[in-house]
Amino acid sequence: MNSLKLPLLLVAIASAAFAATPPRTFPYPYEKHTLPNGLTALLIPMESPGIVAYYSVVRTGSRDEVEPGKSGFAHFFEHMMFRGTKKYPQAAYEATVTKLGASTNAYTTDDHTAYHLKFAKDDLEQVIDIESDRFQNLSFSLPVFQTEAGAVYGEYRKNITSPFALLNEKIQDLAYDVHTYKHTTIGFERDIMVMAGQFDYSLSFFKRFYRPENVVLVIAGDFDPKATLALIKKYYGPWARGFTAPAVEPEPPQTAERSAEISYPGKTLPILAVAYKGDAFDPKNKDYVAALLLGDLAFGETSELRKRLVLREQKVQTLGASIPLNRDQPLFQIFAMIKKPEDIATVRDEIYRTLEQFKTTPVDAARLRDLKRRNKYSFLMGLDTPGAVAAALARFVSLTGDIDIVDQLYAAGDEVTAEDIMRAAKKYFVPERRTVVVLKGGQS
Amino acid sequence: MSRLISSLAAVICLSTAALPAATSRDANDPVLLPVTKDPTVSFSLWFKVGAQNDPAGKEGLAALTAAMLTEASTKTHSYDEILDKLYPLASSYGAAPSMEMTVVNGRTHTDNLADFYPLLIDAVIAPAFKPEDLDRLKSRTLSFLENTLRFSSDEELGKAVLYNEIFAGTPYGHIVTGTVDSVKSITVDDVRSFYAKHFTRDNVVIGLAGGYQKSLLEKLQLDVRRLPSGAPAAVLAPQPKPLDGMSVMLVEKPATSTAISLGFPIGVVRGSKEWYALAIASSWLGEHRNSSGRLYQTIRERRGLNYGDYAYIEHYPNGGVRQLPPQNVARRQHLFEIWIRPVPNEARHFALRAALREVDELVQRGLSAEDFASRRAFLKNYVLHYASTTGERLAYAIDDAFYGLDEPHLAKFRRMMDELTLADVNAAIKKHWQLANVKIVAITPDADAFATALATDAPSPITYASPKPAVIVEEDKLISTYPLKIKRENVKIVPVAELFVK
Repeated sequence: MNSLKLPLLLVAIASAAFAATPPRTFPYPYEKHTLPNGLTALLIPMESPGIVAYYSVVRTGSRDEVEPGKSGFAHFFEHMMFRGTKKYPQAAYEATVTKLGASTNAYTTDDHTAYHLKFAKDDLEQVIDIESDRFQNLSFSLPVFQTEAGAVYGEYRKNITSPFALLNEKIQDLAYDVHTYKHTTIGFERDIMVMAGQFDYSLSFFKRFYRPENVVLVIAGDFDPKATLALIKKYYGPWARGFTAPAVEPEPPQTAERSAEISYPGKTLPILAVAYKGDAFDPKNKDYVAALLLGDLAFGETSELRKRLVLREQKVQTLGASIPLNRDQPLFQIFAMIKKPEDIATVRDEIYRTLEQFKTTPVDAARLRDLKRRNKYSFLMGLDTPGAVAAALARFVSLTGDIDIVDQLYAAGDEVTAEDIMRAAKKYFVPERRTVVVLKGGQS
Repeated sequence: MSRLISSLAAVICLSTAALPAATSRDANDPVLLPVTKDPTVSFSLWFKVGAQNDPAGKEGLAALTAAMLTEASTKTHSYDEILDKLYPLASSYGAAPSMEMTVVNGRTHTDNLADFYPLLIDAVIAPAFKPEDLDRLKSRTLSFLENTLRFSSDEELGKAVLYNEIFAGTPYGHIVTGTVDSVKSITVDDVRSFYAKHFTRDNVVIGLAGGYQKSLLEKLQLDVRRLPSGAPAAVLAPQPKPLDGMSVMLVEKPATSTAISLGFPIGVVRGSKEWYALAIASSWLGEHRNSSGRLYQTIRERRGLNYGDYAYIEHYPNGGVRQLPPQNVARRQHLFEIWIRPVPNEARHFALRAALREVDELVQRGLSAEDFASRRAFLKNYVLHYASTTGERLAYAIDDAFYGLDEPHLAKFRRMMDELTLADVNAAIKKHWQLANVKIVAITPDADAFATALATDAPSPITYASPKPAVIVEEDKLISTYPLKIKRENVKIVPVAELFVK
């Protein structure tokens, strides 16, 4: 083990947070290797009691579902990845994972799909063997494929009872015209209903996206990097290139505000979502980095608006903002769950007023400093197990294929000024970028 | 796998070494887990109070009182001032109220300890109990009961109704959040007197973990002495009314799918040999969020009817959002419980039959030697993922204290995987599991039709979008006519809007 001691690092980083030259934020040394076939492996040895976390991050998500009628397919395909190969049929794969006592699962997002296992370090070669095998040699039958389509529809049905799921569906559909962020990751219901008929498409999906150039392994924990790299070369080396990035159509500039009101079949407090077309992740884009901080300053836990609407006036039950990290242009969103329908317009106007204020009034220097400090401590305190480290990095890996952007992002965040935040407010939070959706409960 | 066990021995040793044996520990001795290299400190103040202590008509009082400590003003600071002070520390504290225990948790980096500690201790020993804070927290609770719980997740709703039904008439007979009427009736004076009675220095156990100094423990012990004095009378363990046959509660609600939960009380808690035997059987039947379980294989994997199907021998709240078991929800009475995630309405009867038939076969035939061997090998390793952070290990140590274990639960779990025999497991199944007396809850539309189908044991044939192998088609015939023998008078129908009112 050559990793530095986490406590020392955290102390050093925290105390140096305001130094002239920002130090590295990501606390662990790591190695990055790219095989001749394009597969990238990020090896992050860290102190842990014999545990290794193994993430295979496929840089494909619902963003890549460019063909009409195929929304939700990246997620569906994630399910199919557990269906075995000739070498390790499904039962054999499951028996192996069971024998290892590994904790394993997978998930799909808009920009990536991740498969993860946590296990004992001595089992690393076995895990590399079964994981490399299914990524290269997946094989499933038509009936198995069709059966799984039913399970995916079941997942949709269990999710859609949440008002937030319904709201997200609507706001993405309304805000985008052509970009694939128009649909949620699980997909349009009409597409999910006919997935069982897409067997041939699923074979082509595997061939297109499950290629080494499009996959990054993130391995964190107690292991020897040199030996591990040799194993990766041995098992993943034969994997043939073949990835061609899909032509994801850029969203044309929005020219006018969009709005809608939807009805939720159950009972709920009204929910107001105010979304603005933002920018893709780019730590060099000062406006974007400033917007990341603005969301918290304006609508976060200690924001003036929340203190007033949630704590003092108690008109609003929850208030928050989401400024996401995405490969393409995401929505910067503000949500409010409002106690009385008659207050919806007032709350909406208060959100607008707050954004206008951020365009003209510099944010308090102490609050800005506190937020930068908070962000760094939050990030670092969360990196306490191999699983947590790999999980935290998966989103960053999906953006650029690397994690050097973590340091870039926090360094850029340190340099954000009150003026930067005003400029970002003026750029992004304007009516012509805006989509507003109000969800109201039914009478059930 | 012995490799995983040996490589993780450090984890278990830590918790073993840190905990005095139960025989030598007093009921309120601190639970300590020093980890000198950990740059953070985790606090857990375990108050021996929960929803079981709610006075009649004031259900939800324990949970609201806990929230009034950790999400409200203190005598020193208003709540918004507290949030401002916590903000740069990236630290927070909160309360986790459950049926028998309420744990106030906090975690901070040692750099920020000096600023964090006074806020945490102030929240516990100097709450302000301001009416406006109570109004806010009551409003949130009522919205949860009237909206979120009834409508936003049918599967969580099904589980809540199952527990309410089985424990009706006992101190467990209401969910932690209470009812609409009871929450509305709760006043600041109720909170104040509940706090004075239950959040006392004689009713708290200090839990401390991570990179703390001895002086911090000493200070915490002194500060806790500033809590009110007195120990409330113990609540007797609940004795649920025996179930009378197989009974069903149908919650009528418009929906495209049906969520089902079912179960019955089992008088087994962790620490006993039989608990670990049942853990093997339950894991084989339906390990949580794991595709290898029998129920999952039968209902989801082979037939694609839903997203997953699982079995439990311990309370497992919020299963939809967690992969591994929760901590600090310990209780003296648990259920054997099956969770069938939403199935298409037309498959509701079939899915219920399929699940019960699997239980029936397990009870009748027992586990096979092969399944026993693979399942205990799995669990022996898998449980070691249960407590990967210092905070989780502290939480397990507190639960060990709750159950009075002289050997940490996770260590014993592993040991029992070596020591238990197939005969032990099958004997435990025979002794504790049965299908004669079961409570079933379904969240479903068109409840009358379902009630009739259940009461007449009407065949429930199933069709699929794609052809199925002959073996499944044959098994479907058996499942679709599997008799449940439910009497019509044992099927109740309740509109969703009537739930959690009183």
